[in-house]
Amino acid sequence: MSKKEIKINNQNIEAHLDIPEDEIWTYRVEGLAAPHINKPYKYYTFKKIVFALVIIVAISLSMYFSVRTVQKDTFEYKEITDGTEVTYELSKYSNTGYMTVLDIDYVSTLSYDRENPDVNTNFIVDKDESKKVSSVRAYALNCDEKIQVINIGAGVTNVDPKAFYSCWALQRIEVDENNPNYCDIDGVLYSKDMKTLICVPCDHDTYRAEKYGHAEYDENGFRIEPAEDSENFAQYKKDVLTYVIPSSVETIGQLAFNYANMTDVYIPEGVKTIETLGFFEIPRLAGIYTYKGEYADTHFTGEEALGEVYLSLPEGLEYIGSDCFSYNQAMTYVYIPESVTFIGHHAFWDTCYKQDGELKGVTVINIARSEDDFKANVKTGDSWRPSYDYMLFKKSLDVNYSAQRETK
Amino acid sequence: MAKLDLGKVKALFTEIKDHWDTPAPGKYVPYKEYKDVVFAVGSNYAGSKVLEYISFASACYLIMHHYKLPYLTFSVISILNMPLGYISALMWWFVCDNLGFLPKKTERKFYFVYGLMALFGISTILFDYSRLFDPTSSFITYLNGLEGMNATACFKTFGTHFLYTGWVGARNIFWRKKLLPKYGRYKYSLYCDVVPKCIMVFLIGWLPVYNIPDVATRVWVANLMFATYNVFGFANNMEICTKSISPNLQERIYVRSYPVKISHFFHTIVGIIIPAVIGALRYEWADINVYRYVIPITFTVLAGFTMAFAGKIKERIPQPPVEKKVQIKFWDGMFGVLKNKYLLIKNVVALIDSLGNGMLPFVTIIYFYTFRLSGLPYSLITILISFAGTPPDFLSPYFLKRFSYKQIMIFYQLTRAVGYAIIAAAMWFCGDNLTLCGTICIVVMFFMEMTKTVPTTAGHDMDVRIGDYQMYLSGERLESFAGVFSWFTGPIVSFVGLLIPLMLLAYGFNSNWDVLFIDASRRSIIVIPIIVDVIGFTLMTLPYLFWDYDSKKQNMVMEVLKRRAQVTEKKAKEAGETVSGGYLG
Repeated sequence: MSKKEIKINNQNIEAHLDIPEDEIWTYRVEGLAAPHINKPYKYYTFKKIVFALVIIVAISLSMYFSVRTVQKDTFEYKEITDGTEVTYELSKYSNTGYMTVLDIDYVSTLSYDRENPDVNTNFIVDKDESKKVSSVRAYALNCDEKIQVINIGAGVTNVDPKAFYSCWALQRIEVDENNPNYCDIDGVLYSKDMKTLICVPCDHDTYRAEKYGHAEYDENGFRIEPAEDSENFAQYKKDVLTYVIPSSVETIGQLAFNYANMTDVYIPEGVKTIETLGFFEIPRLAGIYTYKGEYADTHFTGEEALGEVYLSLPEGLEYIGSDCFSYNQAMTYVYIPESVTFIGHHAFWDTCYKQDGELKGVTVINIARSEDDFKANVKTGDSWRPSYDYMLFKKSLDVNYSAQRETK
Repeated sequence: MAKLDLGKVKALFTEIKDHWDTPAPGKYVPYKEYKDVVFAVGSNYAGSKVLEYISFASACYLIMHHYKLPYLTFSVISILNMPLGYISALMWWFVCDNLGFLPKKTERKFYFVYGLMALFGISTILFDYSRLFDPTSSFITYLNGLEGMNATACFKTFGTHFLYTGWVGARNIFWRKKLLPKYGRYKYSLYCDVVPKCIMVFLIGWLPVYNIPDVATRVWVANLMFATYNVFGFANNMEICTKSISPNLQERIYVRSYPVKISHFFHTIVGIIIPAVIGALRYEWADINVYRYVIPITFTVLAGFTMAFAGKIKERIPQPPVEKKVQIKFWDGMFGVLKNKYLLIKNVVALIDSLGNGMLPFVTIIYFYTFRLSGLPYSLITILISFAGTPPDFLSPYFLKRFSYKQIMIFYQLTRAVGYAIIAAAMWFCGDNLTLCGTICIVVMFFMEMTKTVPTTAGHDMDVRIGDYQMYLSGERLESFAGVFSWFTGPIVSFVGLLIPLMLLAYGFNSNWDVLFIDASRRSIIVIPIIVDVIGFTLMTLPYLFWDYDSKKQNMVMEVLKRRAQVTEKKAKEAGETVSGGYLG
């Protein structure tokens, strides 16, 4: 018989064992261990002790290492040496749960005031001024829900665009005026030369609401906005929900506006690049405008101050990063100027949707170039156009080539 | 071309007709029960799969999108729950492996302890125990610094586990004793859990816990809500029941290969419908109506079907009557399972498998964040891949005869290692090219699914054999005492399980899944844990080299079990005692 046949026969073998009645609990099958039922074990007590000791040691070690592993210092730094100077990178910040202001300038440690029972104020941040922080790592403050203000010191020369990712309560980023690489305009982070907009804090609208006298809170501390049909909504929209990017800006950075609460944005015509996720998930963003004038402020006072204003993306724009405008379903008009040479994947993803069988949001993509010209000269990523439900499947949105820009 | 043998078809038809109500000689399951298996397992399996959309875990879209809980918080909670877990496991095993039938005095003691636990748990929820401590003490400041937690939340989470343990423990004794003799050891829990489970599934979607602004409060309230939800089970009980549907090895494999596999089409259909319905919602997966209507309604319908057919499936483990079963003493249970070499092998494999613990569901990430699939296209592609395993499954009886379990399981681990390595390479080197990367991933996943189902069937049968062997060794299956291995492996697993979440945290993955839209971050978040998993799969081949429990040994073990059942029942009847729940085989 072949090996295969033997194996199959083994599977089908019917076992017939003649087991006497008094051996049913002790009968041993050949090749297997003997049953051990209701019989005492050898060295029973010793075995119990060994067992218990092993378990206790295993659990204790596990608890110790696990607790050590999840224990995080409030501030974690990494030493950086550039040959001449030793500086530090803020690699991770873990909120105590009560800190609302964070200074990033010197290596800091946290201690507690034993006399003060108030958890909101009983901590003391001790700074070692001999150790300068020069850099903030990506995701250093990932998903913090408490920090409202970040103060960046003069020595911080490198802030990763993802450093303050999803800091939901962050209202302002203030930069020391002596910082060589960065500055802020009214709590928004820019490069020192004002050519790059780096980060608009997630909760910047709360700061603006307070600044311009629109802040109202309910009994639970939630900020309430004026109703859209109320008489002061128009002014609220101007002061809080509209943002003007200063005319010096050429690049809107990665994640710059993500999750911002705003309805309108004015982009200067000089902007050439909008990086990946630049305007990601801003559900109320309905108006994107370009202006031609000179404007150094970010507060919208009226279009007359901005010079000529036209709809949608600026002439001169070259680069639209991936997921740049994703999930902005309030947008209704997109015009891609002739200057654009790159559109990243999913750049306008989910900007259209169906409601009561009707297509809403961005319903067509308008492109200045002709179809041939666009296909030959513009590099596009996968699914750069939004798609919508169509006969149980998804269909990409139509493109209107050689389009004329709509006027306001 | 092979001709259809009409004679064989006719014989099969006659065989089914003749043995529709009564099993064929040498067999135990009538064909009518095959039909019932299709409906009972089908609806139970599909229902339990629907529940996978809801869990208190980082992989749950409800938790991560609506609740926005930090990823590492789940590890923190599991560490908080760990010490009580060890203590409560002792009591749990003792109750389960004695099928709920405890000596009166012991039963009263157990109810008392469980009652105290529940009361303590309730008190922690009603009062803030952290106020008993100095707020500036290192203990409290340590708790405040834990990811997503503060001292108050830690105490409440800790207490919630006490409440959960006490509640579940007391129910375990009460319902086992009441229902197990009538419904059997695997499906009794469906009868006491199904109604509260349906209610909890609705409540989870409707209670606006995710609107609580403070993350630490959100964490402990969500933990309490999900602990209550988890008190009531709806596992894949009917399929587990089919593992012991017959003492005949071949018949068992036939039932598991044909009616059970056919029943999985229920899940296939549900798997097409649910994503298609979700795709029609305005915010698709992010729409809260998924959890308010789609999931609860689907689950309730399937749960109803399950209960309609559950009573028609029988367990047929050769065992003495419940009243005459071997009483397992605590230490005998402990040492009994430690003697089981094959259980040890399976546990070493599980230990190595923990290397991948904490990784995100990368297939879901690829579908949602790389390809942005939703609606019917999502349904079709997931069904296409999951269907890949169905045709080979019908050939399971052949493969299980042709190859040893050792060969099958080693092949399985190696195919996982190679498959995941290819996916990791594709994501790393051509992740920007969605079409190419996507095609590679889909093709590899298709082949991995194809090669998965036979080892899965083999794995289930190995578990049953391990249970039979344990019954031979100790007089009971000791399925709960088998958890003692996790006492040794658990501490290692829990520590290893922290490593990947910490790694992911460094790459930006915390409570906001949108980070996966950032290409570079997504690549690291997916690929690095996969590499760790590849190492794990390769190492998992080693323990199987020691597996030598073949069908010959299994058949002899079954003979011993049958003989024990016969003799015990005969003696009980001779003594004039009433007996129930036994099976002679």
